[in-house]
Amino acid sequence: MSWFMGIDIGSAYSKGVITRDFELVASHIIGSGANYRESAEAIRTELIRKVDLTQNDIASTVATGSGADNVYFANQKASDIVCTARGINSVFPQARTVIDVASQSTRVIRLNEEGTVINFTVSEKCAAGSGRFIEIIANVLRINLSDFDPLAARSRSPITFSTGCAVFGESEAITRISEGIPKEDIAAGANKALASNISSLVKKVKLAEPCAICGGGALNNALVKTVESELNASLLVPQQPQLITALGAAIIATKPGISQSIKKRNS
Amino acid sequence: MYFAGVDIGSTMTKVVLTDKAGNLLSFIKGPTGPEHRQLANEVMRQALEQASLQIDDISYIVATGYGRLNVPFADRQITELSCHARGVSSLFPNARTAIDIGGQDAKCMKIDKGRLASFVMNDKCAAGTGRFLEVTATTLAIKLEDMGEISVKATKKIPISNLCTIFAQQEVVALLSRGEKLENILAGLHDALASRVAALARRLGIEPDLVLTGGVAKNIGMVEAMNQNLGCEIFVPEEPLLTGALGAAILAKETYVKAAAAGEALPTKSRRLEKATFFSQEYR
Repeated sequence: MSWFMGIDIGSAYSKGVITRDFELVASHIIGSGANYRESAEAIRTELIRKVDLTQNDIASTVATGSGADNVYFANQKASDIVCTARGINSVFPQARTVIDVASQSTRVIRLNEEGTVINFTVSEKCAAGSGRFIEIIANVLRINLSDFDPLAARSRSPITFSTGCAVFGESEAITRISEGIPKEDIAAGANKALASNISSLVKKVKLAEPCAICGGGALNNALVKTVESELNASLLVPQQPQLITALGAAIIATKPGISQSIKKRNS
Repeated sequence: MYFAGVDIGSTMTKVVLTDKAGNLLSFIKGPTGPEHRQLANEVMRQALEQASLQIDDISYIVATGYGRLNVPFADRQITELSCHARGVSSLFPNARTAIDIGGQDAKCMKIDKGRLASFVMNDKCAAGTGRFLEVTATTLAIKLEDMGEISVKATKKIPISNLCTIFAQQEVVALLSRGEKLENILAGLHDALASRVAALARRLGIEPDLVLTGGVAKNIGMVEAMNQNLGCEIFVPEEPLLTGALGAAILAKETYVKAAAAGEALPTKSRRLEKATFFSQEYR
């Protein structure tokens, strides 16, 4: 049995995995930076080093994400919607809905019993609907993204953002700081605002349970909990949620016929 | 007999003093800022100094703008929409449509007989306001006031495909790194903002004469872009930031004169220039 590679070049992070027998054997994540081609190359080199292989051992590579065109060594490109669906289906075969919270957009995908995409919607027009909103507020609060979740979890009275716009939300957060509102309440308020946008997106494609959540946003437990209470449903969270789409790409590399057409577009 | 209009906007605080005939005696502009919102008195003090007047000389004071409740010495609060409409029609008697693009919102107003007849506004999304340009200016480390002059040198417009200010900011950086010329990118940005404001204005219906006000009206590139998007002549006052405060001062005079003619006593506030000690949440 050979090895397969999936590479997902996103606007903020580039992710890569190597799989064998549909099992993840190596993964690597780096910031996408300004040169996606170099990022793709760096991921390939590191992945191969991790499993002690050479490029020739990789039977096939599938590229996905907004920068997929830069993965010059890929055998095939696949839509990120299909890759996310494939990836989540391999981890949670029971999932009928998957929410992918990324830096540039949030995507909600509906799957049928076979794990085939039957509908999806994307918030790509507005930063207030994506993980970017959390990055912006973390920047205002002068904290690392990784500290955002524990901070927000401490809040007892999250603020309510009066605006639906990430730019105005940034100003509002600054005003709240100047009024002496604790950082945790601002962080939790940002989670609440994003969760509410995510749940409206979910309602557009109609929630079918079980529902999973992935993407970098799923690392923010406090956000996941807020989305759960907005949707009144519990969410399945994979161990490394930001790798799901790359994993799906590697699975498509293994079984090219698995990549299906999308029946309905709704965005 | 003197009158004052105080316009506390999200970005700038403006004060206009007029005499009985409505002549402009002085005006002062200053950045509002988070803490300056409590300092309307300071801007007022400077305006009075410029006109060599005392606060007690002012017969009636109207405050407007989103911080209008933070002006403790104002006798009356009037919405910025009414004040803008009044200010614009005092400068341009034939104005039927006024578009004000500020740092936090964009307002389109229809004017009938010198008064506000109807309006539409966008304060939900930064992409349709002056903030769209402000954010990009900061990213590119260029001065907001230089954007217009730079953009008129453009040889073509680079279309900006992202709607969201945040994503557009990213796109602009990517375009620059691809070697696109700054002036062509700025022309594209102006066109993007102008097309969104024009779409808002069309919801209201556009009737000439059309007057453009607000800080964005100082940007020659934006005036051109609005002209192309709306296809009609655009009038811009000499001081496009002041129409709200001017309208407030004129409405102050009209309120006062009407009450005097009817023999009614107008209640006025204490004329002490004090810092506002509260922060109004109501009109945010």
